[in-house]
Amino acid sequence: MVDEKNLKTIIENILNEMTAGNVDVTNDVQSAVAVKAAETVSQSKIEDGCIPDITEVDIKKQFLVPHAEDPEGYQKMKQYTPARLGLWRAGTRYKTQSTLRFRADHAAAQDAVFSYVDEALVKEMNFVAVETLCRDKDEYVTRPDLGRQFSPEMCEKIKENTTHGAKIQVVVGDGLSSAAIGANIKEIIPSIKQGLKMFNLDFDSVVFVKHARVPSMDKIGELTDADVVCLLIGERPGLVTAESMSAYIAYRPTVDMPEARRTVISNIHSGGTPAVEAGAYIAELIKNMLDKKKSGIDLKEAE
Amino acid sequence: MTEKILSVGIDLGTSTTQLVLSELFIENMASAFSIPRIVISDKKVIYRSDIRFTPILADNLIDADAIKDFVEAQYLKAGIQKEDIQMGAVIITGETARKENASKVLSALSGFAGDFVVATAGPDLESIIAGKGAGAHLYSKEKRLSVVNLDIGGGTTNLALFEEGEVVDTGCLDIGGRLIKVEPKTKKITYIAPKIQEIINKKGLAIQLNQPTSVEQLQPIIQEMVHLLENSVGLGMQSQFYQYIITNKGLRLGQCIKGISFSGGVADCIAKELPEDPFKYGDIGLLLGQGIAHSRLVMEKEVIPSVETIRATVVGAGSHTAEVSGSTITYTKAILPIQNIPILKLAKADEIGTSDEMATKIREKLQWYQLENEFQKIALGLSGEKNPSFQTVLTLAEAIVKGLETLIQRKEPLIIMVQEDMAKALGQSIHSLLPKDYPFVCLDSVRVENGDYIDIGNPIAGGTVLPVVVKTLVFN
Repeated sequence: MVDEKNLKTIIENILNEMTAGNVDVTNDVQSAVAVKAAETVSQSKIEDGCIPDITEVDIKKQFLVPHAEDPEGYQKMKQYTPARLGLWRAGTRYKTQSTLRFRADHAAAQDAVFSYVDEALVKEMNFVAVETLCRDKDEYVTRPDLGRQFSPEMCEKIKENTTHGAKIQVVVGDGLSSAAIGANIKEIIPSIKQGLKMFNLDFDSVVFVKHARVPSMDKIGELTDADVVCLLIGERPGLVTAESMSAYIAYRPTVDMPEARRTVISNIHSGGTPAVEAGAYIAELIKNMLDKKKSGIDLKEAE
Repeated sequence: MTEKILSVGIDLGTSTTQLVLSELFIENMASAFSIPRIVISDKKVIYRSDIRFTPILADNLIDADAIKDFVEAQYLKAGIQKEDIQMGAVIITGETARKENASKVLSALSGFAGDFVVATAGPDLESIIAGKGAGAHLYSKEKRLSVVNLDIGGGTTNLALFEEGEVVDTGCLDIGGRLIKVEPKTKKITYIAPKIQEIINKKGLAIQLNQPTSVEQLQPIIQEMVHLLENSVGLGMQSQFYQYIITNKGLRLGQCIKGISFSGGVADCIAKELPEDPFKYGDIGLLLGQGIAHSRLVMEKEVIPSVETIRATVVGAGSHTAEVSGSTITYTKAILPIQNIPILKLAKADEIGTSDEMATKIREKLQWYQLENEFQKIALGLSGEKNPSFQTVLTLAEAIVKGLETLIQRKEPLIIMVQEDMAKALGQSIHSLLPKDYPFVCLDSVRVENGDYIDIGNPIAGGTVLPVVVKTLVFN
């Protein structure tokens, strides 16, 4: 908080600048503030323009080194990495735009963890909405064990709203990035569905899990008795993207099964594998699991 | 996990035939937790055959049986079984590049050596293959330098210009080492190619068929040939014969060309001094080589060492023709391999709008390829979108199926080549719209343009990718 004395000085300075010293502000700051404030409000013009979104800049193409020996060569190398290279400096620090961009990306990553998937989206997609034992995000972050368990009521809800013993059960979980679900889920679900059609396969109602950890799929596997459970879940966000999603897929998962039994497809986002293409690939993977009755390392070894 | 693929390249040229065996290393570069990304990670030539004269029967027809014997003998020498070969390209160049020859060679070698991709190369494709075989594309990529490769053979000089590893232009001139043949012992001229004869006549030179000749007497025509080569890369005053000597087209002039490399038989003859017997090969190759060694070509351009010289074309054919498709694709196996299909590429502007609008565009363009009721198969090329929505994919699939209705009525397989990574989803969408079990291929990550022809081989790397040969014929 800015203390009162500081505030007074700031206001004085501002008013001095605005009035170019015509008004003796030091004598009666209070009234001057009131008058001037009213004036500023009435005088201020609202423009239609907007400040450019710094996160729109493609870092891979941003190159700020002045008088570089071989700028094309540097930029070519930059094409292979999303790392923040060639952004130059101001003294010993980053330039303002680089600093702001870093903070913006970091904020997006934090937001992705601490925000929730839009309820309207869950409704629109007709998901069966359930949640784990975590009561809020803080508990979700600090208690991974609770993020894989459901209350008896929730178990009941899952059972009632899914087809028992289905070949495929699709689950969506917020995980560590709600933004990832928001960005990808609408594209990937129909893509998986259509891909499965090619093999005469299909899936029924999709379960949505709030405060989900990956092993929550194991419990759902047991509850639904599905052959293959496919969990689409937000990945821990980084500074490159906050919208990366993973698919964890397992053949007949059970609670406390070894992690090696999961097959994972990561990096599903606009800069990685496009959601639509990933969905098409996942469909084929599921079909393969159903044929071989295996998943994870076991499936790799069977190939 | 690297998969090794044995690839064969066979070059049937106007004068010589040769073969190389290469190992291509196919690797999944993606981490274990992502969708595979399969690339050709390395190429190694493991066997170079003898070089023999191309067996030609009357009327420029290749003696296919003799080719088969040659290939068989070389496999034996290399110690490999024909079954080991998974990929390959037969490049038929020069005057032997004819349809009858291609089908004859294909049938003679079919079942004999894996799944051959036979290509009858026009001068443009030959230039590219030779340039890649010589290593000019890699040099231009690593050093970020524009490099032109001159593949100077017996009958023609094939030019390919590379910038940052990409071919940007090609050209071809009727200049080569065997355009005048000289009997080594008697020094008598036994052959003069028609175009060279014309230049000799126009210049009033005393070079005559069936008459003995000398280095001095041939110098004026050699100098003219060198001058024409200088012209071809934009050096010197343009000769009055420049347009005349061009086979089909020259490089566009006025381009920035920094480096130059030489391949082909004459590349081995480039030396400042002539050897003791300048006619030991029975032709003017050594003289031409000496001429080049003293020309502005080597003085004004940075000369780049070639990886291959006389074998550039065959090495290019064996190692540099095939690329692999993207790793998420859809196809029905029964229709593979596919050969010599022309590309119908939609303009970017045609890929916008409703599926009906796009379908109309596809139908219109399809018309261009249907000449006088003669039906022509095509492969549809698209740019696609970088991160498409499911609806976009669906709309595109509908447009394709509607637009290619004539093909579907004829039960012709659909071949779709999309540049962006979306072929699996697009393929599955198309599949859902096609009649049951309808044959099709939908692949991505291969760049094609109008005027290209493609060959698609049998799947490799456990069925994840398809080898593709794009025969580029046109440059913008």
